[in-house]
Amino acid sequence: MTVAAGLGYVLISLGPALSLFVSVIAKKPFLILTLLASMLFWLISLIVLSGAWRGFLPLKSASWWPYVILIITSVGFQEATRLIFWKLYKKLEVILDAFAEEKFRSRLSWTDKMQIALAGGLGHGVAHAVFFCLSLLTPSFGPATFFVDRCSHMPLFLVSAIISLGFMIIHTFSMVIAFNAYAEGNKLNQITIPIIHILAAVMTLINLAPGGCAIGVPLLYIIGVVVLRHCWQMVWRKLTEQGNRQRNSSNIHVS
Amino acid sequence: MERSVLDSLGVEIIGVMSPVSICMLLVVLLVSTVSPSASDSAAAAASATTAATLVYDESPSDPPGRRLAGALLNAAAFVALVAAATTLLVVLYYYRFTGFLRNYVRFSAFFVLASMGGSILLSLLRAAGFPLDAFSALVLLLNLSAVGVPAVLSPAVPVLLRQAYLVALAVIVAAWFARLPEWTTWTLLLALALYDLAAVLCPGGPLRVLVELASSRDEELPALVYESRPASASVSHAVAALGTVELQPVEPAPPNPTMSNRNVDPDRTIVEISSLEEETSPLVPNEPSSSGSSDARQRDIAAEREREREGERNQDPSSSSSLLAPALESDAFDTSRGIRLGLGDFVFYSVLVGRAAMYDLMTVYACYLAIISGLGCTLILLSVCRHALPALPISITLGVGFYFLTRLLLEPFVVGASTSLVMF
Repeated sequence: MTVAAGLGYVLISLGPALSLFVSVIAKKPFLILTLLASMLFWLISLIVLSGAWRGFLPLKSASWWPYVILIITSVGFQEATRLIFWKLYKKLEVILDAFAEEKFRSRLSWTDKMQIALAGGLGHGVAHAVFFCLSLLTPSFGPATFFVDRCSHMPLFLVSAIISLGFMIIHTFSMVIAFNAYAEGNKLNQITIPIIHILAAVMTLINLAPGGCAIGVPLLYIIGVVVLRHCWQMVWRKLTEQGNRQRNSSNIHVS
Repeated sequence: MERSVLDSLGVEIIGVMSPVSICMLLVVLLVSTVSPSASDSAAAAASATTAATLVYDESPSDPPGRRLAGALLNAAAFVALVAAATTLLVVLYYYRFTGFLRNYVRFSAFFVLASMGGSILLSLLRAAGFPLDAFSALVLLLNLSAVGVPAVLSPAVPVLLRQAYLVALAVIVAAWFARLPEWTTWTLLLALALYDLAAVLCPGGPLRVLVELASSRDEELPALVYESRPASASVSHAVAALGTVELQPVEPAPPNPTMSNRNVDPDRTIVEISSLEEETSPLVPNEPSSSGSSDARQRDIAAEREREREGERNQDPSSSSSLLAPALESDAFDTSRGIRLGLGDFVFYSVLVGRAAMYDLMTVYACYLAIISGLGCTLILLSVCRHALPALPISITLGVGFYFLTRLLLEPFVVGASTSLVMF
């Protein structure tokens, strides 16, 4: 429905990502590179997944259990990819620390690491939005729109934009939580993130039922809010911890 | 906010990736909005006489075997033409026909901007229905083209304008190349990647000979290259107090920015003594990887004698300066001139992405990521190898690979999932 509507859909799915990008990531070139690398990573994981599933497509859309298998395998593979991403990041962190020692005589601070995690998560979220939502949006720039039978309340473009916004939030901040959990060895969080991912993906299965998207999408957003809150609490706790530690260490120096 | 290492790392890489991304974006926009119309049958006939379709004029109705064979012949003919033109360029450079080369570059820049850019402008105006009369359009076009000529050659022009005109040239040429038939485009890209690999790395390759000639004469490469000036050239007070911040080296060691003989440790930067606020970006050697050497007819991104560059170094002290900390004088002479990428690389990256845009947006994103990551890999290799590297092979191979993988594998998977609103 015209260029304005098309742009609107793009902004619905990518608007918050764009503002995150402009405010946090664009200022530091390394974070932009991390974003691009993360997007490439998830693209490769998607390609591998689609290669594995190519023989079974197109799925019979009548029954829902092939989709369950699809989702479980896909999410499992993506979580494994997240682990690989973490391992690669650890190796890079060694190099970065050495570089920082040489130039600034300090190591990577915790905020630096969390910013890298944020960039990585944003890359994941943006890759998801681009490949699942934006690539379908080309017809929306034209004169008509498209409705799906299962979700006839809104145009397909709008629903997929909203869903990809929810997923972007989930992916971005679960990466931050995940990196922190791997760094601290926090087993609880390490398990929680894949569970949340699977839960969110399973929520979209509800969309398969006729009229299901009216339930599925709000549930997805509830999960997104939970992830956001969890991430906020974790960051807040760490920041206050660090603030206390710095105050204590400066006290020690003084005395 | 305390400074962190994240602030400074990777500035030059971004400085190269941004114009490449902008160029690709513009080409994608051009290709998707100004789609061939009925009036372009004349253009189609004109494109039939391009160098790339000399041997075989592809049409969609031919069987795949014939198309493949024809495309291979086309690609071979084109690569042979490019190789011949590059060899001619090397010979001319060797015998110091600098005046001829410089004037040829002037002519070709004007020609590309005026005629090829003009036809794109015309189709844009037509597509947008913009009410501009013929005379104004002509005057506008001629003025823009005329400004473009000194913009790409002369050092006195602001850097931003120069970069903008270089990107514009690349966009125009890439938009023209994207009109080639499909199979020819893909085989041409792959053939050019192979040619670039051979021409830059093999001992007898014309581009390698060119680079060695240029470095042995301590001169710039005679070609159109994009150079990213890092933003960290803000001269702080201490530096101003140091006096000159020119690019003149203190020692007579090779001052030329071409990277063949740079014995610079790219990981080391020279930091000013007085403050740690500003730091030079680490030198990553320049990359005269212009496979974009002259194609006689189409690409006119032929030769350029950048003797002006030497004059530029003397005249232009404040831009892209190297911050010489006197106590840290060492052989590791840093300039923050940034990475240089040949214009031909811009063109062919954009051709690949433009051709991907003609299929679908998903392939565009995949190819964009592939090309950018290939470029990143090449830049990292550059900092390791420190001599001229071809920029095309890795990116083009990755780009073509990702295009076909996306088209065959990813698209049925993802489209099937997302139209059922099942996402993960």
